[in-house]
Amino acid sequence: MEAGSVPAVSRAVSVVVNGEAYEREVDARRLLVHFLRDELDLTGTHVGCDTGNCGACTILVDGEAVKSCMLLAVQADGVEITTVEGLEEDGILSPLQQAFSEHHALQCGYCTPGMLVSATYLLNNNSEPTEDEIRKALQGNICRCTGYVNIIGAVQAVVKGEVSA
Amino acid sequence: MLLREVQYVRPESLAEAVRLLGEYEDARALAGGQSLTNAMKQRVGSPEVVVDLADLTELRRIERAADGSLELGAMVTYAQLVVSPEVAATHPVIGEVAAQIADVQVRNRGTLGGNVCWNDPTNHFPPLLAALEARFTIVGPEGERIVAAEEFFVGVFMTAVGPGELLAKVTIPAAGGTGTGFASVTVGRDGTCIVNAAACVNGGAPRVAIGCVAGTPVRAAAMEQALSGGDLAADAVRAAARGLGETLDPPSDVHATADYRRHLAEILAARAVLQAAERAR
Amino acid sequence: MSGIEIEASTVVEERTQAPQIGFVGQNVPRKEDKRLVQGQGVFFDDVKRHGMGFVHFVRSPYAHAKIVSIDVSRALELDGVYGTLTGDEVAILTDPFFEMSTPPGSEIKDYALAVGRVRHVGDPVAAVVASTRELARDASELVEVEYDPLEPLVDAERALEPDAPILHEDAGSNVVWSGQFDWGDFDGALAEADHVVRIERLHFDRFASTPLECSGCLVEYNRGTGQWTMHCNHQMPGIGAIWMAPSLRVGLDKLRFVTQDIGGAFGNKICLHPQFVACCLLARKLNRPVQWTEWRTDQHTANAHGNERTFLDVEVPVKADGTMLGFSVRAIDDCGAFPRYEPLGCIIWAQVAPGCYRWRNIRVDFTQVCTNKSPVSPNRGYSRMQHLWLTERIVDIVAKELELDPIEVRKRNYVRSEDMPYETPNGCIYDSGDYARCLDIALDLIGHADLEEKRREAEGRGKLLGLGIGSTLDSGTNNFGQSQLLNPELQFSGNNEVATVKLDIFGEIVITLGTVPQGQGHETTAAQVAADILGCTPDDINVRPGHDTYWNSHAGFSGTYASQFAVTGLGAVKGASEKLAGEMRKLASVVLGCSPDDIELAEGQARMRENPEAALPFMALGAILNANNAGLPEDLDVTLNCRYVYRPVFEVPDKERKFGNLTLTYATQIHACVVEVDRETGVYEIVDYAAVDDCGNRIHPQIVEGQVHGATAQALGAATHESFPYDEEGNLLTPNFYDYHVPHAMDMPPMKNGFIESPSPFTPLGAKGMGEGGGAGIHAVCAALQDALRAAGGPIVNDSHNNYGRVWELLRDPGASRALVRVESGSGS
Repeated sequence: MEAGSVPAVSRAVSVVVNGEAYEREVDARRLLVHFLRDELDLTGTHVGCDTGNCGACTILVDGEAVKSCMLLAVQADGVEITTVEGLEEDGILSPLQQAFSEHHALQCGYCTPGMLVSATYLLNNNSEPTEDEIRKALQGNICRCTGYVNIIGAVQAVVKGEVSA
Repeated sequence: MLLREVQYVRPESLAEAVRLLGEYEDARALAGGQSLTNAMKQRVGSPEVVVDLADLTELRRIERAADGSLELGAMVTYAQLVVSPEVAATHPVIGEVAAQIADVQVRNRGTLGGNVCWNDPTNHFPPLLAALEARFTIVGPEGERIVAAEEFFVGVFMTAVGPGELLAKVTIPAAGGTGTGFASVTVGRDGTCIVNAAACVNGGAPRVAIGCVAGTPVRAAAMEQALSGGDLAADAVRAAARGLGETLDPPSDVHATADYRRHLAEILAARAVLQAAERAR
Repeated sequence: MSGIEIEASTVVEERTQAPQIGFVGQNVPRKEDKRLVQGQGVFFDDVKRHGMGFVHFVRSPYAHAKIVSIDVSRALELDGVYGTLTGDEVAILTDPFFEMSTPPGSEIKDYALAVGRVRHVGDPVAAVVASTRELARDASELVEVEYDPLEPLVDAERALEPDAPILHEDAGSNVVWSGQFDWGDFDGALAEADHVVRIERLHFDRFASTPLECSGCLVEYNRGTGQWTMHCNHQMPGIGAIWMAPSLRVGLDKLRFVTQDIGGAFGNKICLHPQFVACCLLARKLNRPVQWTEWRTDQHTANAHGNERTFLDVEVPVKADGTMLGFSVRAIDDCGAFPRYEPLGCIIWAQVAPGCYRWRNIRVDFTQVCTNKSPVSPNRGYSRMQHLWLTERIVDIVAKELELDPIEVRKRNYVRSEDMPYETPNGCIYDSGDYARCLDIALDLIGHADLEEKRREAEGRGKLLGLGIGSTLDSGTNNFGQSQLLNPELQFSGNNEVATVKLDIFGEIVITLGTVPQGQGHETTAAQVAADILGCTPDDINVRPGHDTYWNSHAGFSGTYASQFAVTGLGAVKGASEKLAGEMRKLASVVLGCSPDDIELAEGQARMRENPEAALPFMALGAILNANNAGLPEDLDVTLNCRYVYRPVFEVPDKERKFGNLTLTYATQIHACVVEVDRETGVYEIVDYAAVDDCGNRIHPQIVEGQVHGATAQALGAATHESFPYDEEGNLLTPNFYDYHVPHAMDMPPMKNGFIESPSPFTPLGAKGMGEGGGAGIHAVCAALQDALRAAGGPIVNDSHNNYGRVWELLRDPGASRALVRVESGSGS
């Protein structure tokens, strides 16, 4: 990590995304979500609004769920990022990803990456959330298709261990 | 959605941050970024330089001072406030209010300092900290100065933090007890506040502050006067709130008319006081 | 979130189809899911091309203004800017888009960019293309546009006044279309009535479904062939091409639409042709691919709103026992700055002219006007939702005025299951349904029996409790001949959809759809239908995701809209699969030396029914025909590549009487909503909610249920917080998600679901289209609020949108809204 004593219009950014290290020169004004999508070709993280309200861009930064449209790419220098592409392991879907499919917790799939990351963050920090806690954890992820009913159901299924192997 | 060209710098110390803010005329501090980034995306606030405070760990501390007051670093996040044992022990309402702000992702990044320095009239902390009579420690090229709540909040998006200065911490006095209440009506659950009100009945006369009705939190002076006798029964509190609306000149916007805000101010002021009284027991 | 699921057919004389045994009707795993949960979906903004330029539109800050001049020179000087486009170029290079209305609406000139004048805030005036998104945005600020502001028009009734500003000089009037509808004998009904309830004014508010993914395209232009390819999310490419091709002065085939995954559309991605034409021109002009991503603010200010409709002078003749004889209304529809898909909304409501009810005398005076607001698009529930809200308001207001129970009034007046198929006063045929039964299920789900007790208990907590019902019909599979009732010159009628099902050389079944899915599970349900017919499993079937003009598996009306896929799309899949099955049996019979009737398709094989050992796996059939076909009979008419056009049976409606069948199917939604209102603040909460749905035979119950959930969430959003209000200058006050609050997971009430299946006698699978939902949630919330406030002065809920401030107004001054309603009691027979 560089000492930053002089303001600069662009900087070198070193970041680990889904376990892979990247080094890029990035404009200071580039949003992290565009850096992920346009420069690293990780297009699973989506843009749904322009005021940081919808959560479609949610990723984990050093394990914390944040909206990647509300961070500059240069702020991510030195961090570890997990995006939706990093939720599976060796091609095996995570229990949440499985449960989303089994419970029809996605229709168009546009909010799904952000929703999965937020749900992953919840279960990483609370293995037995109540329904209210699940709703609160997903409050920052808007879905226009599902009405959230099956999304809550899918998370509850994982909590109860009811997801097929 | 797409920012103007900007220069970025990430100082390693508070002193360096203050120096940078003073050196570049159009520099802004970047705290959690949950408000500033939006302004930059909309291109309504495009500083030339953003000074990222992320490495200033001294601003992330939550401490109890020797005199029992609670010291919250300006870079403490809402998420930290929600889980802090110090906050829960002294002023649990602060953690409860923090938990009502937006959503998990915002709370992981958004900071107390950002909330008060941005001073959007619909923010949660300005009226709460006004009711708690918090003190704000501002660091500048000449050193530190401490400002009371009524001087800290100056106007819409304006505070006493001047160019080249930085808010370092917020101190909430230890005036004993947990008798603080907060009531709000929001656009959807935990959404933008339409009107909010905070009340504190710990020791001395009750303090009642209303948000969303002016550029700064408004202390309900007449109501505080009417309650100074100590009768905090429901009827007395509601009677004390009557007429508060007429003293206000709130805006009309897409979420509420001025009249509705006036009405809500009276109802929520009373509810905040009753909540505070209940919790003080 | 458990629901009561009741699967039983209701009283219908006969099924056209024996019940499917097999994959249809089951919740098979969705084919779409794996890639979507992995983040491997391909949405248009995910597509990249070498050397592509990014488009940013310069948009008008004024609601109404003359364009005095546009200077792009400073933008062009910026390093990294590839080029620009202005309205002057567009006016030379293209012809105005085809308008569907009669004069004066037909005279409106609508181009890809504003020409001469801007007519709403956000109206695109110029476009800039640059090497990065940010540079394009920077360059757009360097385009200098001089405007001469004109008086803005932001009110539909004002639009009709003689001194109102005129938006389209060529039309000379703000009226897009107007007409009268008169069915039955309304004057006779007035004479027969015991009471006439008069409602001065009701207003259906402006909102939209705001899909999470915004619109956009990446356009490539092939210079050698003059071919445009658009990777995009246009949900109705059939009509998109009909607008774009004549405008660009090319044949339809020069426009190739390619979609894969689309992040929701809900009718908001139908009128994308103006921006798409601008991108096509730019791709050609700059000789590079150009990509346009709409931002959220653009979508709210300039893309697609739902129709805003004001209902005036409603008259409802009723009998003393609550039998409703009919209604009369003057409707004014506000379609924003440009009609585009309009004026179809001026007739589409007629598909459900009587709503769920048996009244026989209906008179409607309908006018549609332009205003300086965002243009509308067929938003979910298109035009029927607004009208059904009217009928539901009428029922609740009449019940209130006559002091009758709104539930009893509904049951008395509902179309009955024994009347099905039921011909409405304007000749539409309601295919099947049992509304009363659905209502009973909904009431049971929210514990209607305990309602009064709950009301008392809530009162103890300072809350006013109310119950409301919303009954709607989701009419699906349009007869586009209804457009001729608006404009007899139009050459549209009927409907169609296409599917191609082939057996390839290695035995894989490949389905190519004409539709444009945005999450409705087309790949999955198509595979279910085909699997049952072809005797294999959905896993043996590859359904190509999305839509591609080059697949040549589409027709003029192709797309995904208007609650019709289960009928049209799956009807086409069924037809194509049956055709393929026939060919497979024929080919197998030649090879095995028997008659085609002796062959059955099962377990991935074509085999002799009497001797299953004599079998050909699909792969063998595919290989024989495609690669090893010497020796086959000369007259063997088998291709194993079967394209089928499903065409529902429709007539052109009677233009004189405006009478005829306008839609093939009618799905039912009956919703029940319980609210608690804080009488001090007007803040209310939905404490219980039940949605009962009947869409005939359900191909995939989980998908149906998901659509019901989603439609309910959108309706509740529209009822509570979602609205597109404008100030006097024509500025939209909710231009993004910061102020336009859509429900999130904490905002949703507990939801209970019930389902019955009344198969449609008219469709290939007994299924009905569904998904739009008809706005039942809006009607139910309005009804529940009105019921709750009976104890607080009894105001009338007269607007579809009721945020807390509005509820407080109703509490503060109940008389103001009550004054909108008068009851005249006259002599009835």
